[in-house]
Amino acid sequence: MLPLLPVILLAPAVAALALCVVPHERHALIRRVAVFAASVSLAGAVIALWTYQASGGYQHELRVPWTVRPAIAFHLGVDGISAVLVLLHALCSFTGVLISFGIKQRVKEYYIFYLLLITGVFGVFLSLDLFFFYFFYEMAVIPMYPLVGIWGSDVKEQGVVRFSKEYAAMKLTIYLTLGAVVALTGLLWLYASSGAGTFDLVDLQRHLAEHPLPPELQRWMFPLLAIGFGVIAPMWPLHSWSPIGHAAAPSAVSMLHAGVLMKLGSYAIIRLAMGLLPAGAALWMPWLAAICVMNIIYGGFVAMAQKDLKLIIGYSSSSHMGYVLLGIACLTPTALDGAVLLMFAHGIMTALAFALVGHVYDQTHTRYLPDLGGLAHQMPFIAVCGVIAAMASSGLPGFANFAAELLVFAGGWDRYPVQIICGVFGVVITAVYMLRVVRGTFFGPKKTAYARVTDVATSFGRLPYVVLIAALLFVGCWPQSLLRVIDTASRPLIASIAPEPPPAPEHPSEHADARVLFPVHEMTR
Amino acid sequence: MPVSFSLLLPELSVCGWILVMLAADLCAPAAKRSGLWVLALAGIVLCGWLLVGQAAPADGVSVQAMFRVDRFAQYFKLLFLLTTAVVVVMTRQFSHRFEAATGSFYMLLFTALLGMLTLASIDDLLMLFIGLELLTFSLYVMAAYLKTDARSVEAGMKYLILGSVSSGFLVYGIALLYGFAGSTSFSVIREALSAQAPMTAQAGLVLVLAGLGFKVAAVPFHLWVPDVYEGAPTPVVALLSVGSKMAGIVAILRVLYGVFQPLAAFWTELLAVIAAATMLYGNLAAIPQRNIKRLLGYSSIGHAGYLLMGLSNGSAAGAVSVGYYLLAYLFSNLAAFLVVVTVSEALGSDQLDAYQGLSKRSGWLSAGLFIALLSLAGVPPLAGFFGKLLVLLATVEGGRLWLVAIGAVNVAISLYYYLMVVKRMYLDAPASAAPVAVGGITKLVLLALLLGILAVGVFQAPYLARITLALSP
Repeated sequence: MLPLLPVILLAPAVAALALCVVPHERHALIRRVAVFAASVSLAGAVIALWTYQASGGYQHELRVPWTVRPAIAFHLGVDGISAVLVLLHALCSFTGVLISFGIKQRVKEYYIFYLLLITGVFGVFLSLDLFFFYFFYEMAVIPMYPLVGIWGSDVKEQGVVRFSKEYAAMKLTIYLTLGAVVALTGLLWLYASSGAGTFDLVDLQRHLAEHPLPPELQRWMFPLLAIGFGVIAPMWPLHSWSPIGHAAAPSAVSMLHAGVLMKLGSYAIIRLAMGLLPAGAALWMPWLAAICVMNIIYGGFVAMAQKDLKLIIGYSSSSHMGYVLLGIACLTPTALDGAVLLMFAHGIMTALAFALVGHVYDQTHTRYLPDLGGLAHQMPFIAVCGVIAAMASSGLPGFANFAAELLVFAGGWDRYPVQIICGVFGVVITAVYMLRVVRGTFFGPKKTAYARVTDVATSFGRLPYVVLIAALLFVGCWPQSLLRVIDTASRPLIASIAPEPPPAPEHPSEHADARVLFPVHEMTR
Repeated sequence: MPVSFSLLLPELSVCGWILVMLAADLCAPAAKRSGLWVLALAGIVLCGWLLVGQAAPADGVSVQAMFRVDRFAQYFKLLFLLTTAVVVVMTRQFSHRFEAATGSFYMLLFTALLGMLTLASIDDLLMLFIGLELLTFSLYVMAAYLKTDARSVEAGMKYLILGSVSSGFLVYGIALLYGFAGSTSFSVIREALSAQAPMTAQAGLVLVLAGLGFKVAAVPFHLWVPDVYEGAPTPVVALLSVGSKMAGIVAILRVLYGVFQPLAAFWTELLAVIAAATMLYGNLAAIPQRNIKRLLGYSSIGHAGYLLMGLSNGSAAGAVSVGYYLLAYLFSNLAAFLVVVTVSEALGSDQLDAYQGLSKRSGWLSAGLFIALLSLAGVPPLAGFFGKLLVLLATVEGGRLWLVAIGAVNVAISLYYYLMVVKRMYLDAPASAAPVAVGGITKLVLLALLLGILAVGVFQAPYLARITLALSP
């Protein structure tokens, strides 16, 4: 049987290589190759998740030794958390490739960089070796520079350039690289002090389980990893690259950027910072929980004040990533389940939102909210999708976001009630700006300036939107489909960090509690 | 004990080839002198063939306690030959600026090569001095080779004055060490040091390091770099930034690891501080540059910082990391300079503005420079990344976390100014749409260098094994 994970990982890489020899002007062929590669990865991701065994642990493993000293291996594998994120990325990149059909200039180079970006992100989720983890991480960051710099657009306000695309691209690249090297310092330190002499994550984890690092070392290593990867998460106050980057990037790149790239940060915190430094995690998580509140509230308020559609969604993304980080900080299995599910749900939702904004921008050539209005007359399909995206973003029941946020709140209540209350308040803020976006863009009288704009007419053009909405609704109505898998990874992880004290008689296990709170049967009705 | 000339064959062949080049320069008619590069390349190939065929004993052998032939020397000599060969190819398209003096340029190039080869084999402080002076004197003349270009003459002059001062330091240091040990031989000094290490020896070491610090352009001996890089002929700059720097590092490796191991506690601290200052200075000062040669000059100071950082561990892992870093640096920097030579020939300018929109004028050159710069910045999967990783790793193992943090931050700083060049090439509009022609041989060599960058970056194991073998004591 063909090994599954290399196929997922290498399909876009091989396609990128193949595109190098395709002539420039064969746009149709270039697009077909890209769609084919993304479909192969998507199919692979679905199979990987479908066949994931309930026993947990790393599955579908593949290991090719690379160097001996330091021991590096090309080691791929998925556990419950990464399997879900691989599916998220596969969905976003598949729809992103379809949305990219709108790119008209330098098509070949665009797809090459885009496919490299896709490969890099897959690589991060699939790698079980620190070296290759970092390798793919940089591979995901560097193509962003040309993608934003060449095919992006300046962020304008009333005709005046607020941020040029070059500025956004450079800021993004430097922030992410700086974060990456800070994290790299932490990883190298960890490697050297572990004494295991290997970069292999599984071996390292096993070694650290037997010979844990002294807590005073973990106390300093954890912030290096958490802050380094927190930059991409994006953790307040290091988030400022992100909304600008979203706004300047072309739509399909924003989809991946907000949908998946930001999840690399939270994933790395779960996988590396928590997985390798349990004592450090236990020590620092209250701080992370406090920072998350800033993410949620501050990001939400800033989003409210924006007038550029992409900036609004950009700041809302950094606000919503606050919930993800909060779920991680709670250190309970339920909240971590919620955080991972929210990574999935938010990724799909925000990819949908950026795809929609992209279409509106293509048609009207503006993203400035006061200039828009009444577009529901001309583009009913987009308007319907927009309302759905706004509802999902505000966490209405029936969408995956609701299930995920509820799990985070329920799982974290016992630990950080104040932060959770702030988080719930953040949902209200989201509703305010999302409804404002929907009203300002789609509703109101028909504007003569936009008499000629058109809807997405073909069913092929509608495919990406339908796929994303279907995923949101499917997971929203049957969250157990993903939670079943996520749970196999989150429970052992939390158990390794915070060994549950024997449950007191009046407090049954927290997790069972949440399951009661969580009205699966009602939502599937 | 009779001198075994077979061990000296590669160097003797280079000596001979200096005369061959001289004779060819005299005999060849002026019109055909531009073809002399083929002859020069033949000399390098001959030397390489002799070098590879040379059977070096596993633990090395010292000729007259002066000249050491071992795997270490062989490895670096191969790198020197590779560098010189690429420089010859660069000179091919540049030589019309030398007017009639092309032949003697190659003669000087071979003298410099002889100096570098000698430095890889030093086993005595006097050999260190001879090798260094052979190399530096040729470079003085080569830097000022564009006689009608005031900047080139200025470059040669600056290099000469500062170089002479640093040679003075070196000789003073050698004198102190001789006074301490009663000999200039490495083995004698090493034995004397293991018995006692007085202030004289430390002072001598510091002065020798100052002289070598000039070669590798370490802060505070870097002042000559920007002006010389800007003014000197570009092929010479490539030799300066790769060959000469590599030679300096090799000499430092020989001196520190081979002789001053008993003083390791002292010089590791010293090198760590110098490395941090060098990295920060080079990378920060590169940011505002408007001339690509100055920019690469400052970036080469930054790389010297990384190399010294690797050496500052005093461990075998540190030496191996430096060996790997130099290999990666060689491919990346030579590829960058090859593009710079070609662009400056075609557009007549080294200003960064000339690179605007280069991607629309020549896909080859812009892609080549893009990859070379990313490798210099340390982006995986290119060679420079693994070099940096090994250096950082060795330093973490050595326990200097503050240095690792500075090194890591410098990766981001350097990425910024490298990307500013990339931005000009890919994002800005070109001044004119006229395509830039690239010769077939240039394309071939550029492709080979880029493949080298990729190969060294992706398949680390075979290189790493070989370097470890070469550098294991």
